[in-house]
Amino acid sequence: MRRAMRVYGWLLKLYPARFREEYEPALERQFQDEYRDVTSPGEAVRLWSGALWDLATSVPRQIFSEMTMDIRQGMRAYQRRSFSMTLAVIALALAIGASTGIFSVMNALLLRSLPFARPERLVELWLSPVNAFAGRTGFNSWWQHSAYLNEATTFSTSEMNLAANQEAWRVKGTESSANFFHVLGVDAIAGRTFAHDEEITGHNSVAVIGYGLWQQLFGGDPAAIGKTVHVNGQQFTVIGVMPANFNYPGKTQVWMPTIFDFEIIPHRGAFLIETIGRLRNEGAFRQAQEMFKAEALRKNPKAYDGNEAQNWPKLVSLQNQLAGPVRQQSWVLAGMALLVLLTACANVAQLVLSRATERSQELAVRAALGASRARLLQQLITEAVLLTTVSTVLGLGLAQWICRLATSIVPPELATQEYTIFDWRVFGFAAGLAILAGVVFGLSSAHLTARLQPAANSLRTQRAAPDAGLKRARAVLIVIQAAITLCLVTSSFALGHAFLKLLGTDLGFRTGNVVTLNVSLQGTTHSGKGEWAYYSNVLSRLRAMPEVEAASAVSYLPLANQIYMANSFKLDSGQSVARVVTNAVMPDYFGVMGTDFLSGHDFEQASGKDADQRVIVNETFARLSGLGRAIVGRHVLSPWRDASYVVEGVAKTARLNGPDNQGGPQIYFYIGEETPPVLTLVAKVRGDAAVGLAKCRDAVRGIDPQVPIYDVKTMDERLDDVLARPRFYVGATALLSLMTGLLAMVGIYGTTSYALEQRRREMGIRMAVGATPRRLRGMMIWESAQPLLVGVAGGMALAIFAGRFLEDLLVTVARPGFGTCLGGGAVLVGVGLLAAWQATSLVRRIDPMEALRSD
Amino acid sequence: MARTNEIEKMLPLPLAAFHMLLELADGERHGYALKRAIALRTDGKLKLGSGALYGSIDKLLLLGLIEESEERPDPHLDDERRRYYRITSLGRRAAEAEARRLRDLVVLAEAQLGRRPKLA
Repeated sequence: MRRAMRVYGWLLKLYPARFREEYEPALERQFQDEYRDVTSPGEAVRLWSGALWDLATSVPRQIFSEMTMDIRQGMRAYQRRSFSMTLAVIALALAIGASTGIFSVMNALLLRSLPFARPERLVELWLSPVNAFAGRTGFNSWWQHSAYLNEATTFSTSEMNLAANQEAWRVKGTESSANFFHVLGVDAIAGRTFAHDEEITGHNSVAVIGYGLWQQLFGGDPAAIGKTVHVNGQQFTVIGVMPANFNYPGKTQVWMPTIFDFEIIPHRGAFLIETIGRLRNEGAFRQAQEMFKAEALRKNPKAYDGNEAQNWPKLVSLQNQLAGPVRQQSWVLAGMALLVLLTACANVAQLVLSRATERSQELAVRAALGASRARLLQQLITEAVLLTTVSTVLGLGLAQWICRLATSIVPPELATQEYTIFDWRVFGFAAGLAILAGVVFGLSSAHLTARLQPAANSLRTQRAAPDAGLKRARAVLIVIQAAITLCLVTSSFALGHAFLKLLGTDLGFRTGNVVTLNVSLQGTTHSGKGEWAYYSNVLSRLRAMPEVEAASAVSYLPLANQIYMANSFKLDSGQSVARVVTNAVMPDYFGVMGTDFLSGHDFEQASGKDADQRVIVNETFARLSGLGRAIVGRHVLSPWRDASYVVEGVAKTARLNGPDNQGGPQIYFYIGEETPPVLTLVAKVRGDAAVGLAKCRDAVRGIDPQVPIYDVKTMDERLDDVLARPRFYVGATALLSLMTGLLAMVGIYGTTSYALEQRRREMGIRMAVGATPRRLRGMMIWESAQPLLVGVAGGMALAIFAGRFLEDLLVTVARPGFGTCLGGGAVLVGVGLLAAWQATSLVRRIDPMEALRSD
Repeated sequence: MARTNEIEKMLPLPLAAFHMLLELADGERHGYALKRAIALRTDGKLKLGSGALYGSIDKLLLLGLIEESEERPDPHLDDERRRYYRITSLGRRAAEAEARRLRDLVVLAEAQLGRRPKLA
């Protein structure tokens, strides 16, 4: 009986405070009466199940009912301070919104599971010791005998021409080993994936298509299985359709099996063959890394020598690999958002302090009327959670906007990694923030209120005495806000400075009024011998247009996010230059791009007289060769065949990947009659570049509508794309630092004006004994400045420490130094003093007599 | 008049609340007695759990339909944890209004269905 009563007593704790206080003894007594009537174990079971059912239904009802009451009361209390409450809600909404937005991105990249079976066991093998070049038997035998891999597969992704239903598209296609889908552990939603021997030449004219392509080409008709599509002119039979959330690797829309003999789809130019595997044991990732490294060293003892670390063989988790490009940046931004959240919380804490003082009287009255401490605590926590919940709901809107922005700037690798707030983890995170912040604010408010009314005589005192602890708490909050603000402001300044430098960087070519279009002749009627004729025709057509000043074509356009082919070149001097990006251009390319020649000249002047035996090198190549500009006229030996090329000119170095990337050594070959099937047409246009681009595209399409034209952009747009990411990071940091700055100012203003209000009587006395308003104001401002100065000192240290993380956002950033911090600190102190000066303007209006009477 | 409007707004009363008012119309009761009496009156059809019972009592107290009684039985027979309740005049009028509402409903149903329901 006693044990049953004890258990029931614990269960009664589930009721909210007011109901429990009111009815707990009666409920206990009633249960005791009922339990006494129990005569058999069956009846006891019935009694307990009835009691539990009753609790399950009535507890939520009572919680809801009391919460509604508390919320109503909270709303009334907030209405009395609507201005400061609105500020607090906005501050929290911005901070929670920013944190949740960044969390959504991190959730998509790092937490949400990939559309693969047991993705934690999937790894990517960079520079795998054995890869597709070992041949089918060699590769399969390698992983079958591997100590750490259960299975491995290889694949290569590139853009391909896909034709079906008499239409042609440019799509991402992946050629892979037959076990590709088996390694990933995914299956087709219609049809099937590759059979074991379908990678073998002669059996491999089959393709699996993505869900999007299935909808686009066949309207989602299951009869698509067995239909044919043409990839780069070759016929493939569709055997399966993948699920909607599967587009690995890199947004692939069509998959084909191969043993990489390139018999069906010939490859020219640079391409990458990647290897992924499934680990034997889940928890043995580190062990697998060690074994991989040992194997790489066994196969090539110099694998880890000399090269830059990024070129070393490595085994990485597939999840980390897919999150790679924005993983580190997300962490840095999340850190910044956390700082903003802290500042916003400090602001709300200021408000809580003010409200606690104000409400101590009201709460004392309620306590005197019988409300228990638990009841008042529940009321204060509900009010605080109400505030943080409203802020969170508003913040979620901001978070979704951040997700959209992030998607446009750094699109995720996979469909399943879509950035969104509509995910249970994101909602959980936001709700967690709201509840945690609410409970902390509520508890601190209750704690402070208790401190302000420690004695039973609190009702009799007109006003609680100013508490030294509270004053200290306020000062600490200002210190925190100032330190965080300074850290973010200096970071923002450093990033902004670096970004402006980036904008002013000489790219080695001009982007204004240059338009670009990609064309691919793979699988069209022009492929093979017709390629040269097609390009000659297109260029003549373009050059004849009144809008076009000049036109040319290039294999690897700068700012186009391509994989470049690099080789080592030897000179007749015996000197050799390593990792030279190899490119091919048509005449007048440098003229169209506005690239200056430092020595020698373009192919144009050499054309007609063995132009295809000449090359142009860039400034970096000339410097690394040790010959400088004197390289013109010297011979460069071909790494592929027994031939040499005369250096015709030295062009300025083009920064191929954008302004934050140094352009390495480059060599340009002349595109003769042996034309690559994929080229980028470039044209310098007169007038509006967008109009010129549209006209050029129409002109090219007019020649043959069957040739896919894709990635049609002006060079300015390409530069914008390249700069989008740094611009976003710089903008986000600036916005976050502005937010913290504003919050800190509001905090300083609020604290100073509150302190003035609290010390009105003291000021009156001081004035009555002869102090001037000016002197009093100076005293108040100095008191506000003290925590500010301490915060600035802390902020300088924080900024210098945090500077190292800025490089993750923008490689070219210079860490904030002492001077930058000092400048930022001076600005912050100046603005802070201005806020304090404004807040103390009321000192002039204090009437000593009135101030003394008022208490 | 204002009082009548106030009562109208409370209708229809929840079934448990109506039974509690009917029970308390007979005299003061403590919670457990009330629960047992209602179960008895309804042939066990309405068995209120303790939480539901005190939830309803709380609501009726807030609405002013019942009040807590100060009078308590002999201390030898009493447990101070027990709470005694009695109906207020507002409660009595609310119960009457609910009864009227139910009767009107029965009359309407009979007129619509064209026959008197058979009484057991």
